[in-house]
Amino acid sequence: MKLISGYFNKEASLLEAVKSLRANNIKIKDVFSPYPVHGLDQAMGLRRSWLPRAAFIGGAFGAISGFLFQAWVFTRAYPIKIGGKPFLATPSFIPVTFEFAVLFAAFSIVFAYLLKSNLGVGANNKIYDERATDDRFVVVLDTSNVDEQEAEKIKSKFEETGAEGIKYEE
Amino acid sequence: MKSNIESIMENYNITFQFSKKIKTILAVFIVIGVASLAYGIFAYSPTKVWSALLLNSVNFLTIGLGATFFVAVHIITQSGWHVSVQRIPEAISMSLPFGAIFMIIMLFGLNNVFHWIHEVHHDPLIMKKEAYLNVPFFITRLFIYLAVWILFTYVLRNLSKKSDLNDGLKYYNKSRTYAALFIVFFAITIVTFAWDWLMSIEAHWFSTLFGWYVLAGVIVKSFAVIIIIVAILRKLGYLEFITKENIHDLARYLFSFAIFWMYLWFSQFMLIWYANLPEETLYFIKRVDNYGFLFYLNLILNFLIPFLVLIVRKFRRILWIVTSIALVVFAGQWLDHYLMIFPGTMLDVQKIGIFDIGLTIGFIGILLWTVLQSLTKAKLLPKNHPYLQESFHYENL
Amino acid sequence: MSDISTREELIQGNKDLKTITDDVFNPIVAKPNKFWFAGLLLAASAALIGVISIVLTVWKGIGIWGVNKTIGWGWGITNFVWWVGIGHAGTFISAILLLFRQKWRTSINRSAEAMTIFAVICAGLFPLIHMGRLLLGFFILPYPNTRDVWVNFNSPLLWDVFAITTYLLVSLVFWYVGLIPDLGTVRDRMKTKFKKAFYRLLSFGWTGSAKHWQRFEIVSFTLAGLAAPLVLSVHTIVSFDFATSVIPGWHTTIFPPYFVAGAIFSGFAMVLTLMIVARKTMNLQDYITINHIELMNKIIILTGSIVGIAYLTELFIAWYSGVEYELFAFVNRATGPYWWAYWIMMTCNVVSPQLFWFKKLRRSIWFTFLMSIVINVGMWFERFVIIVTSLHRDYLPSSWEMYKPTIIEVLIFVGTLGIFFTLFLLFVRFFPVIAMAEVKTTIKNK
Repeated sequence: MKLISGYFNKEASLLEAVKSLRANNIKIKDVFSPYPVHGLDQAMGLRRSWLPRAAFIGGAFGAISGFLFQAWVFTRAYPIKIGGKPFLATPSFIPVTFEFAVLFAAFSIVFAYLLKSNLGVGANNKIYDERATDDRFVVVLDTSNVDEQEAEKIKSKFEETGAEGIKYEE
Repeated sequence: MKSNIESIMENYNITFQFSKKIKTILAVFIVIGVASLAYGIFAYSPTKVWSALLLNSVNFLTIGLGATFFVAVHIITQSGWHVSVQRIPEAISMSLPFGAIFMIIMLFGLNNVFHWIHEVHHDPLIMKKEAYLNVPFFITRLFIYLAVWILFTYVLRNLSKKSDLNDGLKYYNKSRTYAALFIVFFAITIVTFAWDWLMSIEAHWFSTLFGWYVLAGVIVKSFAVIIIIVAILRKLGYLEFITKENIHDLARYLFSFAIFWMYLWFSQFMLIWYANLPEETLYFIKRVDNYGFLFYLNLILNFLIPFLVLIVRKFRRILWIVTSIALVVFAGQWLDHYLMIFPGTMLDVQKIGIFDIGLTIGFIGILLWTVLQSLTKAKLLPKNHPYLQESFHYENL
Repeated sequence: MSDISTREELIQGNKDLKTITDDVFNPIVAKPNKFWFAGLLLAASAALIGVISIVLTVWKGIGIWGVNKTIGWGWGITNFVWWVGIGHAGTFISAILLLFRQKWRTSINRSAEAMTIFAVICAGLFPLIHMGRLLLGFFILPYPNTRDVWVNFNSPLLWDVFAITTYLLVSLVFWYVGLIPDLGTVRDRMKTKFKKAFYRLLSFGWTGSAKHWQRFEIVSFTLAGLAAPLVLSVHTIVSFDFATSVIPGWHTTIFPPYFVAGAIFSGFAMVLTLMIVARKTMNLQDYITINHIELMNKIIILTGSIVGIAYLTELFIAWYSGVEYELFAFVNRATGPYWWAYWIMMTCNVVSPQLFWFKKLRRSIWFTFLMSIVINVGMWFERFVIIVTSLHRDYLPSSWEMYKPTIIEVLIFVGTLGIFFTLFLLFVRFFPVIAMAEVKTTIKNK
């Protein structure tokens, strides 16, 4: 795979570069930044993440299963009168139901996030530039299927928008 | 896109025009209210009529009060997002003097709703409370609350209006002291106000949480009313500068305080249900047994519907959906007051009928009239507010 | 975006991206100073004493504590509630302040969240030790067993098990999700091979890709939305331990929100104690500025006043209710044998935070430090007053008792302080104490 990457110092020039590349219909492989850049996802045309849905599904599952479990224990498995409460003592079951919901929702979204992003113990994702987690913004493009002319255009776009360095990789 | 919003703001000098047509509609509302009142006096016992008046007066008063609270909180927290809608809670808070008038009228009907007034000399339990529950002190307290609330409301409104003329920052900084003082006073008096006018209806019953529970309801209701007024103004062609993010934020507030209200409702109910002490449980037994449907409907309107709808991000950004939910919550809070008052004042089980609804329509007419009238008095955008720009340049996740 | 903001920069020293990284990274590789070693030694010795006392308690039984009939809950549960309460500030800062878009939280959220986790660990120890026999610990978990017995879902003590466990796990996950990018930064700057491998393992392969950042933000935000009601629920459920009973002084409906406010109150005091020391010893004055301290002090006024109003409400309703037991419980608190505890609580929690209405005091570091300790003393006494004064006067005067802790109970408490500070000192040594990625989003010079 042939890669070309541009390095930027400023958030503003990064956004400009991304916008101008996209305006020329050039596909960006990835962008790396030391912090979440405001407006970058729109500039790159990233779709909104569906991850909150994982939390919702997990939370709904947690709430329903938590409540049913308690109801099952108190009405079927081990019915016992405690404190004069009815077997199906709904108000008593609310706290645990709520905790189940939050626990399942939180773990669902975090696991979905880690799996989807390929993050986890032992994950060894490629690091293009170590300074990308410090003070540098990196735009990476895949030029395997791109001709000379197009690659030249990318380079000029980088230069126009104030890239402080351009790197080629095989 | 940005420059578009900026040009709107720079040229924005519009005040609301209260047209004849709207005035006529509101006049019809008020006529319905008056007719219902006349019908009620003719058809029902004085206790029922006064209870309905109490419900609507408290509801009316706390809408204005909640709006002042909204303004004050956003001043002391130095928030910026709300500036685009700030003039709306300000206008709502201007209804406070009318609420005060209704409360003063209520003083003539105290005998009909508060059973402690005639039992204070022979009910041993109420005799113990006489130092607090006696008519002169009760009335004095009311006048103190009303006077201070109205004073602060006017001071904050005037400082905000003055900021339109010249230096916004100067008046803004001035208002911070008053806002802090108001919040301190409000935090204490809303609790005692709730004890006086709602908890003492059933003078034997007590709950330490009651005041905060009422406060949570007031806050939710004030958000609901702000959203409804925003929607009305949008419909009439104003407030085109309000962004989706502003609506999103109002909806988030409505959503989170609906949950907070539910949390306090549940805390109070759960503890009383669990401990099951006769002197406390009676309050809920009355309501569950006699008003079972309304009792659960209260939870559905105030919590379940707003929770299930506004949990979806997309819905929080669509004005008509948010407004419908605000209307549901508004009705829910009315019902909550109904459940606080009627099971206590009326011996026999009541049904919500034409009288109750008609009277409420009348009060809504007066509320909207005062709010729209005060919207004509100031520009719809506080253009010298130091955080004005922030209100248009932020994004919700 | 940044050019329209009329607000001051949140951190001082005109930092750029690079200097922020350096300021946070350097303490991790630098040789720690004498104070750190001295602190660790002190904390670890205290922890050791605590562990010995715990072993002794388990070995000999709860009998070596001062608890008796009717005061079955003494220091143990007081400390439990105190520690859980302290934990609340971390989640409040990282979740609720995130939802309210309070960007100043970025300088303190990392260490406050760490504090939360350590405090909850300390808290969780107490109910376990209090069972006397540790094997009872697993009876509280609902698992299918040959005895065919299930746990009692009607018991607030069981709700606690779920609430505290959920709280610990969710806080841990929330904290770690936020740590991943910063651990990536640390990994990329580590020079030695072994350390680099260590942080590579911890950083989960973070690259800083735009897609990851987008997900990161939405996950943080959703977790904040989940943690905000969670933090309310935890102390609410702790308050249910008391309020669901019919004991005068315990059964009052205001307990849930008032416990939550008290928890945030004491938690912020603990954050201030730690931050004021940390900013000085670790040179973080530019990040945790006097403005941060002032804002935290404002939250102290708010929550302290809520607690104050709750105290007065309880007192008033005790009289208003006309229930003589209720009234007795409150009069006895103020004038009975434990009057001193009550008045310490009142002075520290109600009167002293009101001093922060003065701007001068709010912005005085020494005064804030003093107050942060005063408040936590007060909040400890609040729990002591609630637990001991309500229990020492039974309905039956022949069952009236007094309670005095034994040295073992005191040492266990000292031990948990040791565990807490040991963990915190290790945290500041090996982890980025400031959420650098988040601070980087707030600066104007980027």
